[in-house]
Amino acid sequence: MIINTTILSWVTFIYFGSAIFYIFRTVTGKEFFGPLASFIALAGLIAQTFGLILRWFESYKMGIGHAPLSNLYESLIFFAWTIVLLYLIVEWRIKSRNLGAFVIPFAFLSMAFASFSPNVNSRIQPLIPALQSNWLISHVITCFFGYAAFTIACGLGFMYLLKGLEKEQSSRPFLRFLPGREVLDELTYHSIVIGFIFLTLGIITGSVWAYSAWGSYWSWDPKETWSLVTWFIYAAMLHSRFVSGWRGKRMAIMSLIGFASVLFTYFGVNYLPGLHSYF
Amino acid sequence: MKKIILSFLSSLKLTITLLIIIAVASILGTIIPQQYEGGESFRHLGPGLVKAFNSLQLFDMYHSVWFIILMGLLSLNLIVCSLNRFPTSWKLFRKKPSLDRSKPFENLSPDRILVIEGNPHEVIGRVQNLLQKRCKRVRKKDTANGTVFFGEKGTYSHFGVYVIHLSILIIIAGAIMGSLLGFNAFVNIAEGESTSTVHLGRQKGIKKLDFTVRCDKFSIAYYDNGMPKEYRSNLSFLKNNNVILQGPLLVNHPITFNGIRFYQASYGSIPGGQANITVKKGNDEGTTIKIKQKDSFFLKEKDAKVKILRIEKNLMSMGPAVLISIQTPESNMRFWVFKNIEKIRDSIPGLFKKVPKFNPGLFKPYYFKLNRIESKYYTGLQLSHDPGVSIVAIGSYFIITGFFITFFSSHKRLWVRVDEKEGKSRISVATTSNKDPVGLKRETEHLLSHFKNELG
Repeated sequence: MIINTTILSWVTFIYFGSAIFYIFRTVTGKEFFGPLASFIALAGLIAQTFGLILRWFESYKMGIGHAPLSNLYESLIFFAWTIVLLYLIVEWRIKSRNLGAFVIPFAFLSMAFASFSPNVNSRIQPLIPALQSNWLISHVITCFFGYAAFTIACGLGFMYLLKGLEKEQSSRPFLRFLPGREVLDELTYHSIVIGFIFLTLGIITGSVWAYSAWGSYWSWDPKETWSLVTWFIYAAMLHSRFVSGWRGKRMAIMSLIGFASVLFTYFGVNYLPGLHSYF
Repeated sequence: MKKIILSFLSSLKLTITLLIIIAVASILGTIIPQQYEGGESFRHLGPGLVKAFNSLQLFDMYHSVWFIILMGLLSLNLIVCSLNRFPTSWKLFRKKPSLDRSKPFENLSPDRILVIEGNPHEVIGRVQNLLQKRCKRVRKKDTANGTVFFGEKGTYSHFGVYVIHLSILIIIAGAIMGSLLGFNAFVNIAEGESTSTVHLGRQKGIKKLDFTVRCDKFSIAYYDNGMPKEYRSNLSFLKNNNVILQGPLLVNHPITFNGIRFYQASYGSIPGGQANITVKKGNDEGTTIKIKQKDSFFLKEKDAKVKILRIEKNLMSMGPAVLISIQTPESNMRFWVFKNIEKIRDSIPGLFKKVPKFNPGLFKPYYFKLNRIESKYYTGLQLSHDPGVSIVAIGSYFIITGFFITFFSSHKRLWVRVDEKEGKSRISVATTSNKDPVGLKRETEHLLSHFKNELG
C-alpha cells in the first residue's frame, strides 16, 4: 500500500543528488558534472511520474480512486514534479545547464517537506464532498504549473543578482560561467509570462469550481485574495517592462518578491481561516 | 487642468500605485476577520480600535466604499490608458511603409542574401507568389534599385493588450451587475418541512420566493475511516402545491430552479429527535413505534398511558436512553430505557437491584426496548442569483485569448528586394518585428530556405 510513498521519498534523494551535481558544476565550472546532473534529474522525474501513477492506481484499488492532487502531501509532490518537468524543458530549449543549481534545489525542498515533515500526512485519503469535482484536476494542474514557472523565474532572478556581483576582471570563475545578463533577463520575462498565463487559468478554473461548489465565483477567501495579490505583482512587473522598459536588476528583484507572494499563497494562507484549508 | 487630470489618470505610476494599494488592502482583509466570518473574534482589539475599524469599514472591507472607489479608479485608469494608446497601435496597424526606401536593406548580413541563376524578370513572379503564401497584403514596387516587395504578418498583435484590458473591464462589469441585480441568501430547512422565505446574506433581511422548497430528506454517507463522503438533500420545488422539480442536491452539484441556484452548504441536527421503541409482552414480537419527546401512547390492556419524558443521545456516557413515565389508575412510575442495556447490565452486576429505575422491564409484564434515536436533520442551503456570471465568463475567455495574442504573436514585416547582379538574380530579405526576436529569426530563415528550395 505504501510503495508509492517509498518511491517518492527515494525521489527526494535523487533530486538532492541532482541539485548537488548542478551546484558542483556551477561552482567548479567543470562541465563534467552537467550531463550527470541532468541525467539524474531526468531519472528522478521518470521515477516520480511512475510513483504518482502508482499512487493514483493504488487509490483506485482502495476503492476511493482519485488523482493524486488532493492534499498537502500530494500537492507538494506535484509541485516538485512540475518544477523538474518545466526546468528540463527549459534546459533542453536553451541548451544550458546553468539554471539547474538555482531551480532543482526547490524541487528537492518541496519533496523533502512532503516526505519528512511530521505535519504532512502521506496517506491516501478519500475525497471529502467539496473536493469531488472534475475541476480539481484542472485547477491544481494550472496553478502548479504557474507556481513552477514562477519558481524558475525566481531562480533566474537569483542568478541575475549573483551575476551583478561580478567585477570587471577579478571575479570568481563561476560568476563568469553564468550566462549574460540580457539572456537572463529575457528568460525571466518568458518564465513570468508562462507563469502569469497559468496563474490566470488557475484563478479562472478555481472560480468556475467555486461557482459550482460554494455558490459564488469569488468570495474573497484568503487564498483567492492572495492569488489575486500575486497576480497584481506579476501584472505590475509586466507593465513596468512593457511601458517603462524596466529591465535587469529591478525585474530580478520583482521576480523574488513575486515568488515570496506565491509561497505565501501556497503555504502562508493555511494559517488564515478559509475555504482552502485542506491544502 | 483637463490635461493634467488626463495625464494623471493615464500614468503607469497611478496603475502601479493602485495595484499596490489594492494588494495591501486585500492582504489586510485576509488578516482582519471579516464580518461574514462570525464577527466575534475581534473583540479583543478593544472598543476604541473596533470603533475606528468600523468607521473605516474594515470589517467588511471588500465591499467598503473606499475599496470600491479604488477599484473604480483602477478601471478608469485602464480605460484612459487604453484610449490614450490606441491611436498609436492603430497607426502601427495601418502603416504602409514606403517601398522606395533602401534603408531596410542597409547593413544586411550576407546570409540574408541569395543569388540565383536566371533573369530577375523570371524570378519576380515566383517570389511574389511565395511571399503571398506566407503574408497578407503583399505590395510590390519597381524602384531604381530593383523590385521591392513588402509583406507583413501578425498585424493584429498590436490589439492583444486592448483585448486583455477590455476583458478585465467586462469581468468588472459582470461583477457589478451581479452585486446590483443578484442576491445571496441562505435558509435552514428541517427534514419534511418546507419554506418560501430565505435570509438574505449581505443585504440583510428576508426575501420571499415565489415558490416553495421542501426538504424531503437529508443524509450523510461516510467512508470506512469516518471521513464524510456525501452530503445529500432530497429537495422538492413546489408551485401552488404542485411539485415542479425534485432532485438530490449534493456539494458540487447545485440545482437551478427559477433562475436561482441552490447549494448544499451545511447541515445540523434538531435537538430531541424521535425514539424508535419496541414494546414486548412475554415472548411476542412486540410492536415498534416512533415517538417524539413529550408524546405518549396507551397500553389498553393495562389502561396505561406511556409518555416519553426525555430523549438523551448519550446519558451518563452510557449511550442513548429515553425516560419513560407510565400512569395507570393504580400507580405512577418512571424508568430509563437504555439502548445498550445488555452491555450495561453485564458490566455492573446486580444493576436492577441497585437501580430499579434502569430496568426496562419494570412495568410488568411489558418489556421496553430502545432500538435507536432517530435524530432529525436540517439542511443548510445557500441560494444565489447572479445575472453577471455569464458576462464574467465571457471576460475570462477573452482574457486568455488576449494573452495569447499579446505574448505569442508579433507584428513581423518582411521586405524582399530582387535585383540583377552579374547576370544573376539577387534576392535580399530584410525583416523587423515589434517583439519576439527569436520568432522573427525563425520566420526569416524559413522564408530564405523557401526561396532557395523553390527558386534555386
